[in-house]
Formats: sequence, C-alpha cells, structure tokens
Amino acid sequence: MDNSAKHLLQRLVRRIPVSMLKSTLDKWERLTAEKRKSLDFTQSKWIITQELVALYITENPNQGMWHTFQLVEPEDDAHSVELMQFKELFKSHLRELQRNVSVKIKKHTDQAVWIRVAWGDGLSSPNHLKATYVVLYLQTPYVFVNALSSKHKPLLLQALTLSTRHQQIKAANLSGQKLTALRDLLMRQYQQVKLRVEKVQAEASANRHRMARETFGDGMLPALQSAVFKLETKFKGPTNEAMTQRDEPFICSVKFSSSNLLESLRHCASSGIASTPVTPMLSSIPLKGRNYFVITDNVLTA
Amino acid sequence: HSGVVKRRSKSQSYRRSIRTCFGVASGLGLTPALTARRMNTSRKAPRSQNITEKVKPEHLELLVKTEWQLSYVTPLYQFRHTQLKSYSRQLSAFIAAEKQEGLAVEVGGLQNTFKVSFSVLQGLAETSDDPETVLIQVQSKPMFARQEDPPKTVWCGWLSCINGNPEYLQSLPKDFTCLPLFCSKGAEDLSSLVKSWLQRTFDCCFGPLDINQTTLQWLAALWTNCHMETNIQNLKMIWTLPVLPPLQVTYTVDSDDVLDLWRSTRESSAEKSREAEDEVCIDFSEVTRFMQGLMSHFYRHFRVDLSAGELNQVSSALGSAKVNGKIKISSSRYLISIFSLLTECALLKMPI
Repeated sequence: MDNSAKHLLQRLVRRIPVSMLKSTLDKWERLTAEKRKSLDFTQSKWIITQELVALYITENPNQGMWHTFQLVEPEDDAHSVELMQFKELFKSHLRELQRNVSVKIKKHTDQAVWIRVAWGDGLSSPNHLKATYVVLYLQTPYVFVNALSSKHKPLLLQALTLSTRHQQIKAANLSGQKLTALRDLLMRQYQQVKLRVEKVQAEASANRHRMARETFGDGMLPALQSAVFKLETKFKGPTNEAMTQRDEPFICSVKFSSSNLLESLRHCASSGIASTPVTPMLSSIPLKGRNYFVITDNVLTA
Repeated sequence: HSGVVKRRSKSQSYRRSIRTCFGVASGLGLTPALTARRMNTSRKAPRSQNITEKVKPEHLELLVKTEWQLSYVTPLYQFRHTQLKSYSRQLSAFIAAEKQEGLAVEVGGLQNTFKVSFSVLQGLAETSDDPETVLIQVQSKPMFARQEDPPKTVWCGWLSCINGNPEYLQSLPKDFTCLPLFCSKGAEDLSSLVKSWLQRTFDCCFGPLDINQTTLQWLAALWTNCHMETNIQNLKMIWTLPVLPPLQVTYTVDSDDVLDLWRSTRESSAEKSREAEDEVCIDFSEVTRFMQGLMSHFYRHFRVDLSAGELNQVSSALGSAKVNGKIKISSSRYLISIFSLLTECALLKMPI
C-alpha cells in the first residue's frame, strides 16, 4: 500500500462515523472475516487506521520491496528458541536500543512470525503508517524486511540477532517485491539442506546403534554396577601445551557406576555420548570380563 | 565485510557475562532490564582467613564439617536483632501450637517439648552493610527426661549475608533486613515450621537455592586454587550422564596434578594485568578452560563427552557442594570465601 493510499484510508476512516465503521468495512470485503473480527472498534480512529493498514499489508505481502537477511553463527540454544522467548527478547533488546518504539509480533498459521515496528523519535509517538515489517520463520536463519530506513537498520538487525540467539546477521543478496516468491525460493533450498542433514544423521545413528550392540551385546546385559579405572598417563589435552609437555603422569581415577553399567554404556554408544567405535578402555569391560583397570601410557592401546 | 552488524551495546562484557554465567540449568532469562545484580564473572581467589579470632569456637564447630541445606530468603520486614529473645519465645509457642493441631513432628514423640533459641552468630558479617548472622536452634527434651539430661539440638539453621552486594543492600528500604542465605540441618518438618513462622512474621519468602553448574565449576577451580596454601588432597567431581539407566561418573584427580593443570590455564592468560600479588583475580573464562582441560583428558581416554551430562557434585578436603543445594565446609579457613559466593547466588534469586 503506497503512501497516498494510506492517507486516503486515514481520511476515509476519519470521515466515517464510528457507528458505521464496522458495517462499512464488512461491505468493503477486502479483509477476511477473521481479520475484521480482530479489529477493536472501541479504540481511537487513528489506531484503527493503523491496524487496517497493518492488516492489509499482511494480507497482501507482495508489495513494496522486501530484503532478505541471513542469521549466522547460532549460539548453542538457537535451535530451541520459541515464540514467547523470542517475543520478549526482541522487544526488550529493541527498546534498549531505541526507547520510542512500538512493536507488535504475531505468528501466522503458516508458522511465519510477523513483526511490525513503528518508530518514534524524540517527542513524536511511533508512526504505524510508516512501520517496518519483518517476517521470519523461527527454525530457519532467514529474515525478510520491508520499509526499513538506514537510520533504524542497525538497531533492528542487532535486536534480531540477539533475540534469535545468533552472533551475526548479514545481507543475503535476495530482494524483490513478492515476499512469497523469496520465501519459497529459500525455504525449498533450506528444506533440501535439512533433508540431507537428516539423512546423514539417520545413517550415523544406525551405525552407532550397530556398533553399540556389537561391543556390548544385544538384549539383557549382566547387571554389573561399577568399573574403576586408575589412570597414570600423561596429560592429554589438545590446547594445553604446558601440560602436554609435562613428563609426570596426571594421576586420577574414574569410577563409572549405574544400576546396570553395561546397559548405560551401550546407551552412551548408541546415543553418541560415547564416540564410536567404542574405545578399548570401555569395551575391555565386557570383552575381558574385568572392572578394575590400571592404565599407564604403555597399556593405553591394550 | 558483508554488512555484518557490530554490536553497539556499551556493556558488551556484561552481555557475555550473562551468557557464560547463566547456564542452561539456571532458567533465568536474558532480560537486560535487571539491575546490576548478576553473578560476578571474576572474583578474588579465596585466601586462607583465620577467623578463629572473630568467631566463637563453639560457633565454628557448629558451622564446619556439617552438611547444610541451602535456601534463599527475601529481605525480612521489621526484623530486629534486639528482639531475639522474643522471637525465641514466639517460635517455641508456634511449634507447640502446630503440634497440638496434630501436625506430626517427626522428631521424638508427642511428649517432647521444643525450645527455640535465637542468637547472634558474631564474626561472619564482613562489610558494614552485612547484617549480623542469626542462629536459630531448636532443642528437644522428652517429657519424662531427667533433670540432668541435656536437651538435644534437633534442628539448627542460620541466616546470613556475607559480603553482600553493597549496591543492592543500600537500595533496600530502611525497615528491611537482608539475610538472603538460609542454611539448615535437621528434620524437614521442623525446617518447614521455622520457615513458615519466619514467612508470616517477617513477610518474606523462601525458595530452594540450587547450586548450579556455574557455581560448581567455580568451586572446583577455587578449591584447586586453595591447594597452593592448604592441602586439598584431591578434587572429586561427580557427573551424571543422561542415559538409561543413568550413568554416574566420579572423576577424582590428585591434588598436585590438578593444581598444575589449574596453573597452566592461568598462565596462558598471564598477559592480563594483575594487581598486587595478594589481589589475584580469577576470571570465569579461566574456570571454563580448566574444566575443558579436565574433560579433554577424560575424553582422550574414554571418548565420552562429559559436557553431555550434568555436574552434580564437587568435593575436596575443604568441603563438598552438591547440585541439590547441599554444602559442607570442612575448613574454617575458607568459610568466608565460600559463603560469600553462596550469598551472591542467594542475592541473584531476589525477585526485585
């Protein structure tokens, strides 16, 4: 919706008496019944106008110019960010960067999260007719942005990065008028990547299960409850030069205990907590029928 | 440079400290609207302090070598250190009344009388903002006991604030006394009664103080650091791995070797400026590197990733700490340091 259309709408809403506003919009038929129900006619006309514009834009997203951004370097918990958390984080981060903003976030039925940011500055209140629209899908790294001024760009991008638990965001070099086209293009690509990743993971999992069973056995396992390893080996740590250069052994002991140790270890192997193939240290327990070991540098490979 | 957004926030290290300190277990959100109360990312190494001059020997004996259950409590409204005798009488009466109501008290039979005594445990308050520690003891005497039979202490608890954040303490309205750390030992039902009375009398709130992963890691590093002054004998860590059935891994490292590892992780960051020798500061990143070193050595042998599990317990000759909020201090020399750390944890739980 361009500016002149917005202003026209604003003037029309102002002219039409409140009592007739609802029925007029019903007759207009440009908004779905559901959307019309969501309008609160007890609010001021100014607010109603803004909401109408917002509704119109979300119903007709293939307008204006959408720019795509990609979130990179996810933190460990980026994949588990869910809507409530994202909403809180985004709003608080953005408000920290710029006090006078109005943020509305809503999830649509197709999982798209629509954000409308109205920017105010100094003394003027946030202007929803000139709002920035952001669309993102929480489990993907893509963000689509419309009507973002260069002044507000760094603020919005920073808030998005932090609230989705990533370290950086970069321009994805994909822009266009049709949001749906941009989205479909990227989602399809993303789906393919996801499917490939899932396939690789499934194969790895099958391998792990097989190796776990080969090492520890199938079915019920004897209920061994503990195993002790006395380690008298030199320190092994990839990044610690001082310690790896040490001649003396790093004396420590490790005790594994469980109500059924072999089942626990088998589950470690099949779930990936223990890397496969299983180390001889652990496979020695079932293979040699022992649960007390003294490990020195000479015996490490045994 | 592909248009990467540089962080503008002026307190960048503040954000990083939140991230490193608030592990998954913490459940605290990343709302930047918090006050400056957050876990310190750097702290002074605990020094051996001889507190035998400051604290009465019978109090010290009470505090050390005992496993305490930790809770946090919000500031107490209109609590007066001068009214302790009155509080003793009131709480005794409350316990007696609850017993009459039929509330079963585990300890002893219904014939037992309970006597409560509130007293000041002097010598633990470190700064001028710390209120004095309050000790509560519940003694029980069977009804038909002989005169000369001494009453038995069946429950003991204390409220303290050691090296509490001065900004927070000073921000409290005048009528509030902040003693956020509550340590208790004894029958659970007596604990409930005492907390219940305190809650209704001083309009406060109790909650469990779990010792989270970050704090346990701090303790592992701090206790190892103490080996320079006091023999810790060994550093023992217990992890649980999320498999079926659950697998417990007890990893015990010889004290001299673990100290060497700790020293080596500190040396690699030796370039950072240090104040005078006595003010050695430890940064949480060193603690992380230390833990990673320990887990690496473990991984090289067993090819098991300990970080997939949860650290449940850390202990040494100086004490032990468990994730379910149980702490034991075995040496009075480090009591102040450890309880300062725990006070900090308790203050983080304050809802304001």
